[in-house]
Amino acid sequence: MLKYSLKRLGYMAVVLVILSVIMYMIYSLVPANRAYSDADAQVKAMKNTLPKDQLADYFDKLYLEYQRKYGTDTNNKFIRYGRWVGIYPLYDGSYNGLLQGNLGYSYEYQKPVVEVVKQPMLNTIKINIWATILALGITLPLGIYCAVKRGSKFDQGIQVMTIVGYSLPTFLISILFIWVFCSKLGIFPPSGMQTPGNTYVGFRKWLDEMYYLALPLIVMTFCSLGGMTRYVRASMIEALSLDCIKTARAKGLKEKAVIYSHAWRNALIPIVTLVVGWFLGIFGGSLVIESMFALNGMGRLMIQSLRTADYDVVLLMQMFYVAMALIGNLVIDIIYGLVDPRVRVSK
Amino acid sequence: MSKQKNNSSQKTSWLKRLWKGGSNQMADELLNKDGTPNDAEAIVSPTRQIVNNFLERKLAVGALIVLICMFITMFVGPLFMPKYYDSYTEVTQKSIKPTMSMMSVPKELQGDIKMIDGFGSFTVGLSNAGKVYVWGATELGTTGIDIADIPEEVQNSKIHMVAAGIDHIVAITEEGKVLCWGNSKLGQYGTESEAKARGEELNPNIAYMPEILATSGIDVSRIKKLTCGYQCSAILLDDGTMYLWGNKLTYANIDLFLNVGVMYDMDFTLNYIVGINGKRNAVFTGSRGLYDVVRTEIGGASYPIKDFLNGRKIESIVATCSSMCLVLEDGSICFAGDLPSTNAVQVPVLAAGEYFVDVVGGSYHYSGLTNLGNVYTWGSDTLDQCEVADNLAGSTKLFGGAFQTYTTDDSGNLIAKWGLKGYLFGTDTSGADIFQRIINGGKMTMTVGAVAVIISSLIGIIVGCVAGYFGGKVDILLMRVAEIFNAIPFLPFAMILSAIMGSMTLSETTRIFIIMCILGVLTWPGLARLVRGQVLVARESEYVTAAKAMGVKESVIAFKHILPNVMSVILVTLMLDFGTCMLTESSLSYLGFGVQYPRPTWGNMLNGANNATIINAYWWQWLFTAIFLAVTTICINIVGDALRDVLDPKSSVDK
Repeated sequence: MLKYSLKRLGYMAVVLVILSVIMYMIYSLVPANRAYSDADAQVKAMKNTLPKDQLADYFDKLYLEYQRKYGTDTNNKFIRYGRWVGIYPLYDGSYNGLLQGNLGYSYEYQKPVVEVVKQPMLNTIKINIWATILALGITLPLGIYCAVKRGSKFDQGIQVMTIVGYSLPTFLISILFIWVFCSKLGIFPPSGMQTPGNTYVGFRKWLDEMYYLALPLIVMTFCSLGGMTRYVRASMIEALSLDCIKTARAKGLKEKAVIYSHAWRNALIPIVTLVVGWFLGIFGGSLVIESMFALNGMGRLMIQSLRTADYDVVLLMQMFYVAMALIGNLVIDIIYGLVDPRVRVSK
Repeated sequence: MSKQKNNSSQKTSWLKRLWKGGSNQMADELLNKDGTPNDAEAIVSPTRQIVNNFLERKLAVGALIVLICMFITMFVGPLFMPKYYDSYTEVTQKSIKPTMSMMSVPKELQGDIKMIDGFGSFTVGLSNAGKVYVWGATELGTTGIDIADIPEEVQNSKIHMVAAGIDHIVAITEEGKVLCWGNSKLGQYGTESEAKARGEELNPNIAYMPEILATSGIDVSRIKKLTCGYQCSAILLDDGTMYLWGNKLTYANIDLFLNVGVMYDMDFTLNYIVGINGKRNAVFTGSRGLYDVVRTEIGGASYPIKDFLNGRKIESIVATCSSMCLVLEDGSICFAGDLPSTNAVQVPVLAAGEYFVDVVGGSYHYSGLTNLGNVYTWGSDTLDQCEVADNLAGSTKLFGGAFQTYTTDDSGNLIAKWGLKGYLFGTDTSGADIFQRIINGGKMTMTVGAVAVIISSLIGIIVGCVAGYFGGKVDILLMRVAEIFNAIPFLPFAMILSAIMGSMTLSETTRIFIIMCILGVLTWPGLARLVRGQVLVARESEYVTAAKAMGVKESVIAFKHILPNVMSVILVTLMLDFGTCMLTESSLSYLGFGVQYPRPTWGNMLNGANNATIINAYWWQWLFTAIFLAVTTICINIVGDALRDVLDPKSSVDK
């Protein structure tokens, strides 16, 4: 098991490096020149104090200085990549890259990227924890019930609903829900994270936040219902057709015991892996829902940064997403091996 | 030659066997030989079994039918819309609610028409009895005003004349008093004293209605013309006195006309007030040389106006949104300004001795009545303005709505009407017909989805087959590559690529093709894994071992034995992937990183619906598109699901 995990970890590292190269190369296609714009801004500020001919010289000097500082004084993309990661020295021989903790600088906010990302990420985590709890709380019982009552009217109804649920794009569900719940019924506020200009504290503040988060949470839950319910139902059906269930029934066990203690445990194996993967997904944030409801989360930050061409933020977030996906895959594989002894992970 | 024949007969026999099953075919053959029935078992072939099983599922069959209809509509539909083009915009037709009543003249008015006028989405009519009727899309955007709610004062008085602007109506009573209703936020009507009485600050961008019109009124017998522009209105008396009021920002030369005060004739285009002054030999706009050349046909040669007139005088001016028609004393006509170039219908050539007695203008078309009683319509035909009705006998008067023409006889009976009936699904924020955009956008959405799926399946099948069949190091390497692509978070990555493309100068077609490629290249790992797994299983099965033992070549085994057996699973995945790709494209376009306006797709048509106000007020701008998108993807998923169940022998056993 340990050997397998290490091996997978090694693979993961390789994949991560390759992806970071790809990302960086794509990112470097963007016609943005930070050294130029910085030098330009500084020279423009000095416009009135220096004569014109000196100004050009001063600009050249500044430009070179900034290029050296940012590591862009070469056109070799691989050297630039090395500097970005922090494995190739800058002009003055120092290292200043990802490995040294320099995660980039946001132009739009004039802050290091880490600070820009911090608050949205906290918000996203907060929202997604609720969404996950809600979604699991509904889908698990629903899926089990549908599997047990397979073929009944209720099951068929839920099947159609889940198809609808996963056929509709998230933004469409959001639009529909906003229309129904905000415009027609007026139950929920259409966007935002709290009442503007409020001074609530403590429980009142929490309540206000939840009131604003209610609709996005409902939409998120609804979106995840489709796929998850079908998944739970399928694995439960599979479990119910096992021989051990026949044996349990033949022994005369109560139906409840058969379902919840025999079948459910077997059905749990594929579900657990999915749930774990899901928990890792809570850092990601939904691009559509967050921008739709004006929630200050990771997804919205991503779209805003793309719109304002704040590519340092985008690049870092992208790398973060990639890392999360890779870790997720790894964790799922390992947990699969742990919960199901039949899976030969060392293979 | 003989080989080819052999080949084709082989193919048909293969198809036959696919459908009828091997043993049945054998039974038929035996029967053919000696004519007696045989006792070969009646076995249903797997393909037939699959089709039978599929047909048993009512929901899936229904979904398949809907899906096929949808496809046919989207790919054949655009052929029936030759006048559609992507970049069409129309400022006077923005955000109109679904309606088909734009040409439905009220019954009570039909035998008693005095005049009809229209500028925007609604049309106003006046009966000889002095009663006002309004029809068309009468609800004005988000203002909450319904212009069909005619004020009591207007209902109670006998009206002499009416005219319609973009969002207001002006009526003159027999006593000469001017009554207006509709939107007044931008100075469409209302005098200075009224504004003061309401406690409002006077707006320098508004030319207020002259007080005399609201108080003592004017002599109606002296009124030569009442006309409304975008948010302006004007009354012209026969001595040339001009009353002009409205939103100054909509007409750049309004101040000039306010100062001049006297005109022989005048009218509104979309941006300029155009007039004919006392000399009647030029178009007066205030800007020198703006309309000093005229044409006699669309796209024809231009003449300086002085040369063309050659001493003749201009009798009247009829303006559309971008051009104007000058009717001369002798009944001949000429045009100044920009005549429509797309979907244009040419100016008619009149017979010798025939001349125009009446010319009316819509928003982009003109209709003319000649002394011989012939009616012609020319100009833009984008909204069917020029589809002249057949039965015109007895028409003596013409009235122009914005996109319609009505003809009546002397006593005011409606003879014929033609033009824009309305919009089935309403219009979008640019004024384009949503129905037409849905059909054309559906074609684009489906094309993007289909091409993306083809790209992804090509990569996926090849990689999957190679990895599964060869195994070993090739397998490990290819699966690592798949893992790399799988780890890329889809939507953010597609958005980055799209944003980077946006900063390059690419043609829209190239951009769309690249988006298809991005979608395809990012979705193949799933299919590759599936195919690999299937091939791995198939490789170990008996028939492959048998084929190997018989010495069949590797490539033949891979493509003739294994591939057909995994094909069914691949087809189902392709079906479901097609749905996913369509969804992804819409999400991308919805966020503004996919196909860009004006090229329609179902995603970017929903782009505007991003806040509660618009979602509620302009519900038709997203609801219909959403229904089309939802129905299509739901049907794809239902059919795909049913196919998977049907094709999977395991699931049909325990059903």
